[in-house]
Amino acid sequence: MSQGNGKVGSVLVVGGGIGGVQAALDLAESGYYVYLLEKSPSIGGVMAQLDKTFPTNDCSMCILSPKLVEAASHPNIALYTYSEVEDIRGEPGRFRVKIRRKATYVDWSKCTGCGVCSEWCPVVRPSEFNQGLDDRRAIYTAFPQAVPKKFVIDKEQERLCHAACRDACPLHMNVCGYIKLAAEGRIDEAYRLIRATNPLPGVCGRVCYAPCQGACNRGQIDDFLAVRDIKRFVADQVDADKCKLDLAKAESTGKKVAIIGSGPAGLTAAHDLALKGHGVVIFEALSEPGGMLRVGIPEYRLPREVVRKEIGQIQNLGVEIKTGVTVGKDISPSRLKAEFDAIFVAVGAHQGMELKVPGEHLQGVIQGVEFLRRVSLGEKVEVASEIAVIGGGNTAIDCARTAKRLGAEKVTIFYRRTRAEMPADEEEVQAAEEEGIKIELLVAPVSLHGKKKLTEMELVRMKLGEPDASGRPRPVPIAGSEFRVPVSMVIAALGQAPIVDFVKELGVDLSRRGTIEVDPASGATNVPGVYAGGDAVTGPAFVVDAMAAGRKAASSIDAYLRGGSVPPAEEKREPEKLTEDEIRTVTGAVELARRTKMKHLPVEQRAGFVEVASGYSLAEAQAEASRCLAGLSEGCIECLECVDRCEAAAINHTMSDRIEEIDVGAVLLSGGFECFDSSRVYELGYSRFPNVVTSMEFERILSATGPFEGVLLRPSDMTAPRKVAFIQCVGSRDEKHGRPYCSSVCCTYAIKEAMIAKEHSTIPLDVTIFFMDLRTYGKDFDKYYDRAKEESGIKFIRSKVYSVEAGGRPGDLKVKFTTEDGMSKAEDFDILVLSVGFQTSPELVELAKKIGIQLNPYGFCQTKPFSAVETTKNGIFVCGAFSAPKDIPETVMQASGAAGDISTFLAPARKTLTKIKEYPPERDVRGQEPRIGVFICNCGINIGGYVRVSEVTDFAKTLPNVIYAEHNLFTCSQDTQERIKNAILENNLNRVVVASCSPRTHEPLFRETVREAGLNPYLFEMANIRDQCSWVHMHELEEATDKAKDLVEMAIAKARLIEPLKRQSLPVTRSALVIGGGLAGMVSALTIADQGFEVHLIEKNNELGGIARRIHHSFDGGDVQDFLSQLISRVQEHPKIKVYTNTWIVDARGFVGNFTTEVMRYRGRVIERIDHGVTIIATGAQEYKPEEYLYGRDPRVLTQLELEEEIAKGSPDVVNCDNLVMIQCVGSRNEERPYCSRVCCNQAIQNALRLKEIKPEMNIHVLYRDVRTYGFYEELYRKAREKGVVFLHYDPEEEPRVRQTRKDGRLLIRVECKDPVLGDEIAIDADILALSTAMTPPPDVKELAMFYKVPLNQDAFFLEAHVKLRPVDFATDGVFVCGLAHAPKSIEESIAQAKAAASRATVILVKDVLTAEGIVCTVNEVICGGCGICEVLCPYSAITLDREKRIAVANEALCKGCGTCASACPSGAAQQRGFRRDQISAMLDAVLSGV
Amino acid sequence: MTIVLNELDTRFKYDVAAEPGGENIKQCFACGLCTASCPVSDIDPVFNPRRIIRMVLLGMRKEVLCADFIWFCIQCYTCQAHCPQNVDFSDIMKALRNMAVREGCVPLSFAEKVKEIDVFSQKLRHEMVSDLLARKPEGERVEISTVAEKALSRLKS
Repeated sequence: MSQGNGKVGSVLVVGGGIGGVQAALDLAESGYYVYLLEKSPSIGGVMAQLDKTFPTNDCSMCILSPKLVEAASHPNIALYTYSEVEDIRGEPGRFRVKIRRKATYVDWSKCTGCGVCSEWCPVVRPSEFNQGLDDRRAIYTAFPQAVPKKFVIDKEQERLCHAACRDACPLHMNVCGYIKLAAEGRIDEAYRLIRATNPLPGVCGRVCYAPCQGACNRGQIDDFLAVRDIKRFVADQVDADKCKLDLAKAESTGKKVAIIGSGPAGLTAAHDLALKGHGVVIFEALSEPGGMLRVGIPEYRLPREVVRKEIGQIQNLGVEIKTGVTVGKDISPSRLKAEFDAIFVAVGAHQGMELKVPGEHLQGVIQGVEFLRRVSLGEKVEVASEIAVIGGGNTAIDCARTAKRLGAEKVTIFYRRTRAEMPADEEEVQAAEEEGIKIELLVAPVSLHGKKKLTEMELVRMKLGEPDASGRPRPVPIAGSEFRVPVSMVIAALGQAPIVDFVKELGVDLSRRGTIEVDPASGATNVPGVYAGGDAVTGPAFVVDAMAAGRKAASSIDAYLRGGSVPPAEEKREPEKLTEDEIRTVTGAVELARRTKMKHLPVEQRAGFVEVASGYSLAEAQAEASRCLAGLSEGCIECLECVDRCEAAAINHTMSDRIEEIDVGAVLLSGGFECFDSSRVYELGYSRFPNVVTSMEFERILSATGPFEGVLLRPSDMTAPRKVAFIQCVGSRDEKHGRPYCSSVCCTYAIKEAMIAKEHSTIPLDVTIFFMDLRTYGKDFDKYYDRAKEESGIKFIRSKVYSVEAGGRPGDLKVKFTTEDGMSKAEDFDILVLSVGFQTSPELVELAKKIGIQLNPYGFCQTKPFSAVETTKNGIFVCGAFSAPKDIPETVMQASGAAGDISTFLAPARKTLTKIKEYPPERDVRGQEPRIGVFICNCGINIGGYVRVSEVTDFAKTLPNVIYAEHNLFTCSQDTQERIKNAILENNLNRVVVASCSPRTHEPLFRETVREAGLNPYLFEMANIRDQCSWVHMHELEEATDKAKDLVEMAIAKARLIEPLKRQSLPVTRSALVIGGGLAGMVSALTIADQGFEVHLIEKNNELGGIARRIHHSFDGGDVQDFLSQLISRVQEHPKIKVYTNTWIVDARGFVGNFTTEVMRYRGRVIERIDHGVTIIATGAQEYKPEEYLYGRDPRVLTQLELEEEIAKGSPDVVNCDNLVMIQCVGSRNEERPYCSRVCCNQAIQNALRLKEIKPEMNIHVLYRDVRTYGFYEELYRKAREKGVVFLHYDPEEEPRVRQTRKDGRLLIRVECKDPVLGDEIAIDADILALSTAMTPPPDVKELAMFYKVPLNQDAFFLEAHVKLRPVDFATDGVFVCGLAHAPKSIEESIAQAKAAASRATVILVKDVLTAEGIVCTVNEVICGGCGICEVLCPYSAITLDREKRIAVANEALCKGCGTCASACPSGAAQQRGFRRDQISAMLDAVLSGV
Repeated sequence: MTIVLNELDTRFKYDVAAEPGGENIKQCFACGLCTASCPVSDIDPVFNPRRIIRMVLLGMRKEVLCADFIWFCIQCYTCQAHCPQNVDFSDIMKALRNMAVREGCVPLSFAEKVKEIDVFSQKLRHEMVSDLLARKPEGERVEISTVAEKALSRLKS
């Protein structure tokens, strides 16, 4: 730390919006380590939510995204997203910051951003990004282009439930998940989720014994949730054939599995094995598939159609079912063993248990299972009129009810224990009783009697004794209690056993009970390749247990067939009950509600085998599902679906927040703003009418990534609107709602949204903007306003809207307002957009309080006078909307400005903490035959689910020069980078191709990997098979795969021809030339010089100060002259600044890092040459001297600057006058100068206030077009009115008229105008007339622009590289602009921009060498015709025509590799490295070869 | 007609501001919300709050204080509830009425009569609404004029 003079060379930037990102980049590039902290999961801020940006209507995300990626991949920027500042301690230069890193519940080192988790997450939350107009899931990324592209889980800490259902379910079904979806009525999605773990939902929805319900935590409160009934509802609603199931089917393995038995175990195993890519044949002994589902459960409980359909779904996966084939009889087990790669035995238990009483073999005694089977298969089964059923399980009940349905008159069930011990479902027992079946308890048969045919049964009464092995009380016969009953039929339903002797042939061991012995963890028998499960192993059990056994076996068989190890048995978590405390909490939080009972068919309608339970209605299902405690969580319900889905195993639900401490030298607060809550203005109807939206919501509605995909629709009925209106100043300029300031940007953004809405609308759209003063004061904004009026036909009405009510037609909105002339009007609109103002978020206010920085009365950050980037606390800086509402370019300017200040502040510690990465020496591959390695990404299932990746990999292997090819689960994951590096070294690869996603986000990563393996980073090619194949051809596996092959072939074809590219290194002259000695020039000179770099400051006048010499008060009341004189002396005394007054530029040459400028001093007496690395243009502007309004003809007509000087001098004619009139917009906003001069309104008001201070009774009238006191300057406007300054609006069509008149012998200046409010002409005889005149660029800027090859806009202000994101740069590197040379602006804004220009310049000056782009233009001199087209077109002035040799010369240092020259060159002389003509041709040949 | 400001009383706005209720008049930035919200403006566009404020600010003392329109305000406070600058126009009307009486634009008896009208119309309204409520007119069509007549006759008796 001693290195940095006690200061720490790192900076914390709080807020990851565009301001924070820009500052972070500037600082990191200037030699500081940056922590970029953002509270949300992604950087990007509000700008990421914008559709377009004004005034160019550029796509916001398109211009922002590269910046975000740059910040994320910068080696000296650490992204701390999803983090918050807890505290800042310490002193300026060495702060210790405590940061809370919020739990993401996703391990970001593993998360690859594939998004599968989110697709499956059942919890829907309103999307913050889309302003709640649509949904996101509980596991989510903020937006599609989020940076970092990592997921987080939105989780409440307090949960009401343990999701015991999932743990209790043998299939581990995501119960909370599908219940939640069902509760929300999203039935298709619920079905998808059910099907993901359960191939037989309709079956389980009817006959499952539902252990989930037993475990359900709600059961401890009132009633368990009817999970089974909800599942049944969902399964019944959805047509599985039409529902997009997304069951990813693996590629065929070529292996075959025989399954014996088509019951639930066999079917589930078949389903899973088919999905894993194996061929499956099921052998079924009966004539129909389904096992017990088909022949064991009567149709009135489980309709045949349900079973048939669900089996059909499994068959659709390619499973073959051979019915009527008994293994061991029709086909030998050994033959199966020989023909198949594995066998799964799932024959069930179809052999009924004997009664073991005398007379068992009499005619009329039948086994229950046999009885049910015969009935099910449609055999004619005669029933007697009096029937006894022995047993107490579901089979007994099934038999009894079936017998009743077949016509038996009297059916009695005899059971040896009490009703409490009956294994049958209580509901079933009740149903049986309803149907007239008698149940005799505590009786057991002793013997059966009859001659051949059964006639009588003897029974004995029982009592309950000690518990037996099953835990139930053992029934004990009561001696002497025997009795007889007459019966003609006895159905024995005591239980079933499997018949599995046939497996002995294979050598499979059986247990003593006659079941198959298996390893419980895997389902494997003692014979390799032979597995078993279901009732055949366990004896009679439940459907879902059999299914679980099938699943386990399938997973083991898959591992066996692939030669892998058996996956470990899933950890069985015991279902957790609520504790007493938890029960209390839950009881307080939920309304008690009993279970919604499913309706049953009335007994009299139960004819035949019609299904008895009739299922839920949607409303019933939703009502029942809504009872789920997990679903009551606001966020993640911990269903753990994401854990199952995440191929990268990145999900970790046990994470918690972490506190981290970092040391930084300075802090930059760029926390941005939040929008005013419009529902506070009740009369505007927001949150009462769906078609009243905020401007932010409308921005999302217009956006292609928004809720309506960019189609302009109104939210209430999704129809195309015909009329849209904007209401300005909602939460701005409003004392009533505590928002007296102007939010500065709303007027221009409303115009933008209005224009875009018109563009997006498919029908002619009528747009109206209701405003008070239209404040398009920014650079080129007035032209934008003119375009909106004249070209787009947007109507502007100067009126504040009073109220919004329901309009004439449903959804329409009636707006009531008054026009300037006093006419009350009402008009109907389809959509109303409220242009909401800015405010500071409560979190920021709290942070400010905690760290002790002051806020201004409006809740924004208080800044120091003449420095809009310094807070009241030393070492803590601010930029962007946190200090005042502002637009993007001003935020970016301030961000760079703050970076400039911080860079100066921490200069001694520069480069003490930044890292420089070391790479292995680059391998020389020249002259080597291409040896290409190809890596193809599955992206989890994102690509792999829709493209046969292994086929693409195999195809790549067949292509010439491909030495190595593999496919990865995630090619971008950290471990794959190691694999790629190893593959390069082991196979001596010299070219690498990755086929995955977008090069925009991932090319830098792979280039880095290649470089780390000793290859030139340009020996890399990428094919985007995600966006271009799996995404766009999601349902066309074949086509997507073919296209992926084509793209890979193209990339390989190009890879054969790619060469290492050198990035040119250029030396840097570490000094700056600043042109213009005004305020901006001096501030930027000082900002650079204070960091230790030499500065040459050029001023054409004989003294420094520029136009500021004439200004006395800044808008926030600062003493400008005092500030200026201090500044001048600091500049003059600074050892690193050389001031050249009376100096003109006569020539300039060179490029970034290496400029040479020739200057002429003292009008030609001295010529000097200055070498410099960067150039800052700060040439200022001047006041327009008007010809109108008697200026120059009457000495009492002054410009505002002149007035200011007169006030400062205290001229009696001015300060003592009675009537003073000001006219605004003189020479501005007209045809000649169609721009707003921005400062004049404030300046006029400032002067008026000074005059009122001197002489309060002076009459001051201000004639204006729009009062543009933006931001907090609104306060000045309010003060002026309070002091009695009268503001009168004039229309540009009726400009004020000024003439001299004579009255009482005095020559007066008569000002006349029309007052639109009175509707009358007004005349004022003024003593003094002040004109607010335009600001104009100095006349010599054109020449200067040519010297440095930089452009001017049509008003002759310098034109920056990008009006939004590069407001001080030029497209030409190394040249910067600031101050009035860029556009009219206030002193504070000039200073911020001057610091910004200095900061951007410093980024170059701190470098030892500059590294140019590798992909640059080259000109083949032999064929260049010297036509000069490239010179004209090059946006970076990187090509010049050598007019003597008539050839184009490319400057590699300036070239950005955009390729414009190459595409325009008629002879092909200009080419782009890395995109040469032969390389492109090779790609085209590759793709066209097969056509 | 051309209004010559130099001939007007430019002190007027300060006088109104000094009058109880008139304090905030100079805050007006002429957005027109008062006029848009005014139920009187709806039936008589001559009553235009924004215009009245403008006349005060310009110094049209006589034209305002002696005008009929200052007596048309029904003091419903709608404008005041919505004004973004807290100009408080309803209170300004009171200030102007007081000034009008004081400066002799209307006799005091007139102002007292107006007060009586206010009280009477409140009573009338109360009677009419009570009548409606008593009838609990669910879906029943009621002619306002008949209700008014009945209420009037009750008030007379």
